[in-house]
Amino acid sequence: MILDLHAHSVKSDDGRAKVQNYCQWIKARNIGIDGFVLTEHRQFDDQSNYDDLAEKHGLTILKGSEVETEYGHVLIFGVTPALQQAFDFTNIHLPLAEVISACEQHGAVAVPCHPGRKRVGMAAHLETFGVPEGVEIVEVFNGGSRGDEDKIAQQLAEDQQYMGIGGSDAHIVSHIGRCATEFPVDIFSQQDLVCALKTKKFKAIKLAVEA
Amino acid sequence: MPTADQALDVAALRDQFLNVVFDSYELTLSADRLVAYATSCGETAAKFTDPQHADFQAPPTIGSSFQPKQRFPKGFPTFHGLGMDAGKAVAPDKPMRAGVPILVQTHMHDIYTKTGRSGRMIFFVNRMTFSDEAGILLGSADTSIVIREKPQT
Amino acid sequence: MTIHTLSDVSFGEQLPTFTPDTGLLNVKKFAVAAGWDAPRFTDHAAARDQGLPGAVIPGIMSQGFLSAMIHHWAPTADVKKVDTVFRAPCIVDEIYNVEGVVTDIDEETGEIEIDLTITNQAGETRVFGTAKVLLSQ
Repeated sequence: MILDLHAHSVKSDDGRAKVQNYCQWIKARNIGIDGFVLTEHRQFDDQSNYDDLAEKHGLTILKGSEVETEYGHVLIFGVTPALQQAFDFTNIHLPLAEVISACEQHGAVAVPCHPGRKRVGMAAHLETFGVPEGVEIVEVFNGGSRGDEDKIAQQLAEDQQYMGIGGSDAHIVSHIGRCATEFPVDIFSQQDLVCALKTKKFKAIKLAVEA
Repeated sequence: MPTADQALDVAALRDQFLNVVFDSYELTLSADRLVAYATSCGETAAKFTDPQHADFQAPPTIGSSFQPKQRFPKGFPTFHGLGMDAGKAVAPDKPMRAGVPILVQTHMHDIYTKTGRSGRMIFFVNRMTFSDEAGILLGSADTSIVIREKPQT
Repeated sequence: MTIHTLSDVSFGEQLPTFTPDTGLLNVKKFAVAAGWDAPRFTDHAAARDQGLPGAVIPGIMSQGFLSAMIHHWAPTADVKKVDTVFRAPCIVDEIYNVEGVVTDIDEETGEIEIDLTITNQAGETRVFGTAKVLLSQ
């Protein structure tokens, strides 16, 4: 199963995509993904339920979050009410160690995203803060990467022996599925996703998207 | 005017400044200006490029170019760092015509912070509305201004 | 194909790519017309002095390019909203592709939504956004 693990909808301040249009787009353009995870900036979207849309289009639609730490932005998969109580998702100065620890405690997974990006990527902060404890997975393919940002991410993953995921970081409909993660198992829920990430059997992929 | 070298109390700023019109002026667009604006953007339709056309009008995004005389409300903190446009949304409703006076009014619509490639950033969203002499709304434009804060020393 | 009515449009349709004139002279012409005649937009050296990679195409000109692209495709389209996010500066005298693709069609209102992107020669997205456009039914 192939999931785009990093996408934003209109729920994010800079997101311009409606979720139903992501679904339509994936089907109309035969984008090679089986679903996606909405990782809204600095929040977990408690309100929206995409089950009907997912069923209608035969896609897996899950929710996560993208939070901000001293090491840059971090995707969170497996968000629970208890995890939301553990730290303030809106805080743009979260300590990464606190985020990782809370995720471990509450059965979630934290994944630094676009780590090769200036300022908001983990690699840029290693010299200042050192290699953080507890990171096991980073995003090595990001659809919004510019220049050598993905190469830096892949080098970081190789150096630190991290696993790599892929996500489009889509903010508009037509950017969904540019990068994704391939799993050997089916994933239909947050719990399935967390399990699959913890088994570390997956690989980041870049998809050729026709214009 | 106060300065904002220290961490901002965004909630207090929102309480004090949101939704209050802080800038208002009238402007009239000339045909020459409309043609230059449209053609430099690549518009080719006669209604945007030919002042003799029966439906000659401003290109739809022109409202984004109007600027308030004051960028921020009176008493708003000043910021160090380079202010950049972070996003713009323009929503034309009715055509703007050459020679017709337009009332331009601005209020602060939102204030929030986030981190980006360039460090900590503060976003201010100003909403500008355009109306004609009869008070009919011609459109609006939201401008997000981002201030990249200089690191504390 | 030139679009005239809503029935001419299909979901996922790609608008013809537009490569706008980003030359310094044209940007100056725009900047004067817009009342944005600042050196950061019209003078490479002055822009570099401000820490920019070169003179920058005003974001509002990017919006104008996007609107023009829509009108090239559908001359009678009534542009109701252009909403843009500026991810990275577009530099004067560099080549950019302005692209759009239909991502929503409302048969009842006649409104369509278009994803908008401006990309550089490396394929990097510098500006993205959406437009809402009305077409006659």
